[in-house]
Amino acid sequence: MRLLLKFLILLPMLCSYVIADSGTGPQHRFSGFASIGLMSSSNDRLAFRRDVTMDEGSSDGDIEWSNDSVIGAQWNGSWTHQWDTTVQLVAKHRFVNTLENSVEWAFVRYRPVDGLDVRLGRVGTDIFMISEYRQVGYALPWTRPPHDTYALLSLYHFDGADITKRLDFENSTLTMKFFYGNSDEKYPTNSDSNSEIRLDFDLGGITLNFEQGNWKWRSSFIDVRINNDMVPELGTALAQFSPYWPQASKLASQFNTEDKHFTYGEIGVNYDNNSWWAQAEMVRLDSDTKLIPSGDFGYASLGKRFGNISLYGLGGYATPKEDVDIIQSPIIPGEPLLTGTMQALAYAAQNAFIGARIDQNSIGLGVRWDFAQKMSVKLQAEQFHIEPDGASLWFAVNNQEPIVKRQSSTVFSLTWDLLF
Amino acid sequence: MLVKSFTLAVLLGLSHLLQADVLVIVNSANPIDHLERKQVVDLFMGRVSAFPTGAPAQTLDLQTGSPGRALFYKSLTGKSEAQVDAYWATLVFAGRMSPPKQLTNDNALIAAVTENVAAIAYVSPRELPASVKVVMELKSSQ
Repeated sequence: MRLLLKFLILLPMLCSYVIADSGTGPQHRFSGFASIGLMSSSNDRLAFRRDVTMDEGSSDGDIEWSNDSVIGAQWNGSWTHQWDTTVQLVAKHRFVNTLENSVEWAFVRYRPVDGLDVRLGRVGTDIFMISEYRQVGYALPWTRPPHDTYALLSLYHFDGADITKRLDFENSTLTMKFFYGNSDEKYPTNSDSNSEIRLDFDLGGITLNFEQGNWKWRSSFIDVRINNDMVPELGTALAQFSPYWPQASKLASQFNTEDKHFTYGEIGVNYDNNSWWAQAEMVRLDSDTKLIPSGDFGYASLGKRFGNISLYGLGGYATPKEDVDIIQSPIIPGEPLLTGTMQALAYAAQNAFIGARIDQNSIGLGVRWDFAQKMSVKLQAEQFHIEPDGASLWFAVNNQEPIVKRQSSTVFSLTWDLLF
Repeated sequence: MLVKSFTLAVLLGLSHLLQADVLVIVNSANPIDHLERKQVVDLFMGRVSAFPTGAPAQTLDLQTGSPGRALFYKSLTGKSEAQVDAYWATLVFAGRMSPPKQLTNDNALIAAVTENVAAIAYVSPRELPASVKVVMELKSSQ
């Protein structure tokens, strides 16, 4: 955040310098995107939401509009062939909705030569294949990014820098990007309530994109270092009971997330011959903390265009890497209060670990109609299956009734997307 | 006789250009005389921002919805305008590249290329002023 503020203060000075240096007039471009989206999820125990940043969702057939509705405006100031500035503001429903959070990008780009870009400021996260433009509905073939893989990706932007280098070959192009930065945001942990979790982290990574003809291949690796204890109260409480409960100190370390790391490894492929298209992506998350459980995520989608109409199918999965640990606290004879307190802590720790797990799969069908210039409507139907100990991407409608059986839900989505 | 030969040569040259569906043009002061299809694709699809010589390039486009624009992108990439717009949205709103500047008609494009040595544009087959030159011809069946 401090970096962003410094950047915004320095920006006008830098811009006036490059204008004076260029000897040519600057060019300004304004553009934008918008989506109005309705969705309805049939399950009455779990509420469906677009991703983990949302604190509202649909359940029991309710029609919900705030998850998939968004409007974004972008300004690009090109000062010379080498320097330009981009600011993108996005208005949508947010758990913490401030002007600063609405600044999606705000960066200065320096392009010393064609094929080498350096960006400094608030930049998008090029972690997965479509993560940088996942809010631009018109750019997506689906109503929203595939839920099983993208709903866990809370990070839209970070404050830092990236360097992109393009290498041209005879019939192909390889693009490498290196990035490093910081993010500090709060996320909801319950539906329509004020419970939240804060996640402050530094991230660094590399992405490779290879394009040849109709094919695009990509891979990325990202390392994330957590800078805060996400649930400090529970960790501190557990640690106090370690003299009576040997497992408690180990459990406490799981809640002491400061300095812990998690990594994303991703591969993706896209094929498009202008008639048929296909896209698939696989992600492996390896984590030092059970509050962000390790797991495998992926999806595949196939579509066919018939003029202005496209039909597509998609399927995805999210599977935790490890089984659920059964946490049991000891019974101390003659100490009912101590025993009861440890049982309560064990229960809370168990729920925290289970609540973070993602174990679900889905299949779906959809249709896109490009009915006018820069406008499309999409209708999508998906069937989800959610394991009782893997519903982290959903909200429990009633927290007093634990989910003990496998759940399923049919989700219908209708979106109107446009560019301007 | 000389006048007849000259006229024939001009007509032959023009008929050659008229066989194409789209002409890709640059400023006549640009040292580039010819561009390969991939090089034009790379420029108009935002993969590169410079000519093969390394000189900065400014791509110019017709407005969305113009028949000439649809024909150009279909001939060059096989993509519909909706596909091209969706593709550009992935670049623009990811902050990677700026799209070609859009002008209203062929005459505006020719005038803009005349004024800017870095410009590259496309026009329908026609007689062109000496201030611009053709670096690629596209046929819709290509």
